[in-house]
Amino acid sequence: MANQNGQIYGLTILSPIIQGDSKDLAHASAIRWYLARQPRDRRSPLARVTGTHQARLVVMDDVVYVGAPACEEHLQSRYLVFETNFDGDLDAYLMRMAAEAHEFVHSVWQHCVAYPGVDDPHAFAAYMKKCQVNTTFYFADVNNKTVKQNLQALQLQSALARFIERHQGEEPAVIQKAFGEFLETMRRAPAPEPGGDDAHRTPQENRPHD
Amino acid sequence: MTEIDVSDIQGFALRGYNFPFARYLLLELLDPKPAQRFAGHVIPHVTTGVKWDSGKPASTVNIAFTHPGLIQLGLPEETLLSFPVEFQQGMKARAEILGDTGKDAPERWDDAWQEDRVHVWLGVNSRSQEALEHRCSEMLRIADETKGARLLYAQDASSIFIDKQQTSKEHFGYTDGFGNPDFKGAQRDCVPGQGKLTADGRWEALATGEFLLGYADESGELPVAPIPHLLARNGTFMAYRKMHQNVATFRRYLDEQAKRYAPGTKEQLAAKFLGRWRDGTPLELSPDRPDQSIVKDPNRNTDFTYGADQGGARCPLGAHIRRANPRDAFGFNGKLVNRRRIMRRGMPYGTYVPEGQPVNDKDERGIVFIALNASLFRQFEFVQQQWIQYGNDSLQGNDNDLLTGNHGGKGKFVVQGTTDPRNPPFICGALPDFVELRGGDYFFMPGLTALHMMAAGTVDPR
Repeated sequence: MANQNGQIYGLTILSPIIQGDSKDLAHASAIRWYLARQPRDRRSPLARVTGTHQARLVVMDDVVYVGAPACEEHLQSRYLVFETNFDGDLDAYLMRMAAEAHEFVHSVWQHCVAYPGVDDPHAFAAYMKKCQVNTTFYFADVNNKTVKQNLQALQLQSALARFIERHQGEEPAVIQKAFGEFLETMRRAPAPEPGGDDAHRTPQENRPHD
Repeated sequence: MTEIDVSDIQGFALRGYNFPFARYLLLELLDPKPAQRFAGHVIPHVTTGVKWDSGKPASTVNIAFTHPGLIQLGLPEETLLSFPVEFQQGMKARAEILGDTGKDAPERWDDAWQEDRVHVWLGVNSRSQEALEHRCSEMLRIADETKGARLLYAQDASSIFIDKQQTSKEHFGYTDGFGNPDFKGAQRDCVPGQGKLTADGRWEALATGEFLLGYADESGELPVAPIPHLLARNGTFMAYRKMHQNVATFRRYLDEQAKRYAPGTKEQLAAKFLGRWRDGTPLELSPDRPDQSIVKDPNRNTDFTYGADQGGARCPLGAHIRRANPRDAFGFNGKLVNRRRIMRRGMPYGTYVPEGQPVNDKDERGIVFIALNASLFRQFEFVQQQWIQYGNDSLQGNDNDLLTGNHGGKGKFVVQGTTDPRNPPFICGALPDFVELRGGDYFFMPGLTALHMMAAGTVDPR
């Protein structure tokens, strides 16, 4: 049961990072500084890649020796770890990455060994698949529902709560009429944008316990 | 059987005194030497956990320090830096985490908290107003004579009296003060509903280290504590919060919502907000009517669980007491809550206005909320942040606690219904802020040995 669970795919990529410097800055450091400057909310470049549930990028320097008995091991290179959960097919997703996060992808992966560039999406997809390792287990935010389904469900949930609050206790016929209008409004409502909703974010969302 | 040294533990950390009157003196410490002298002169007055065989005293005294207070007392830096980070930072710095924003933000707190000079909390509880005055002036005389401390603010608190009878009501009319977690070594047997649940559904006392430093906690480890060990042992951490209650707003809101609440009466809706009828009857035990026979029986009034009420038909999933102490609501025989328990020592302040009489939001009126625990971060802050100011664990999404949450006019509260068409779910929207924070901080309440060391200037972290 690797990688795919229902319509959700869990992708893990390990791309070796080029040893040495680029413009006096280690390639690994260049990735780190670039990533540190990227927004993590709805403006995140990965929020623009359609179907992304969540994604994470980590620069892994080495494996860490943690205690006795001594069994010291090292990686052969530094790696960029890229983990993402998304909807649907792997090839299609990698193509979308190339198209929808073109500049971001290039800024990050240009520091990796054998990166072919992103202008040819097929070459990029083939490269990424070479770097892929099996994902045996991953965090399922909501079981087997696409990003779009999730966002629409959340939108509907809060709108329905408002509807009930407004109309509870009214005559059945009045509620039925209002509900028809409500359904129509919801049908016409634009799909919510991925990447979080700033308007509904509370200050308490700074939560170290999460 | 865990033995604890009750004569070395402050009485306030072991039990609620159940006195009708209290005054919390907030003091600034002056220079270290006089401050130590002040502490030394207070020590003989400090009430310990020793049993009152010859009856209750006329008054009690307990003492606790903020981190700036410990600095002012001249504790060594190595010790000061060994305290947990949240205590070092103090409550103001934790405002975002606690949801103390908007109307609750520190810049809107009472003047006493504005200059960051609150170093000492001296809690005096008493049987009578006279005894209170007497003991407080004695304490202030010590402050004067030793030149060690200066009074910044005196916060009076008192039980609410109705028909001259002391009650455990708070200003919204709820009966408060049921249940504090029992822990090993405290002087009574575990009361049903107050410790932790066992796999076979019984209740037993929690580990001592959940509430006192220097003892094993529920994980079998000693809680994070300052060095040296002797300074920490028998001490505890206290969160002090002055919570103003907008009584007029509460009554108006309850009236308005009750008019639309078809499945029941206004009192039923008030009960749904809290999880208990206003007379104290738990909804889980008596969903349809208050029952004084339950309220008056200490073996029954906290003896309930939520496992058989997963849908919240009796007690709503977001009711205040279900959020603050979810018992078994999250499954696993309640194991997920055993490390998130707090002891409460709160008391109302301000004049009580009976139901039906004119009342406004402006008058000084509310509750001094006091929580004691071994870890402010793991216990008080977690409960406040995750269960009060957020609803995910109780399946309430972003909904905050109706009564004490920070809503800013946007929140909602769901009263779950049943499949009976006469009992549909009910949604309370546009929640106003019923409670506003007016000040507070984190305090360390040391044991007696530690107090002596602090007063003598002999705290040695090496």
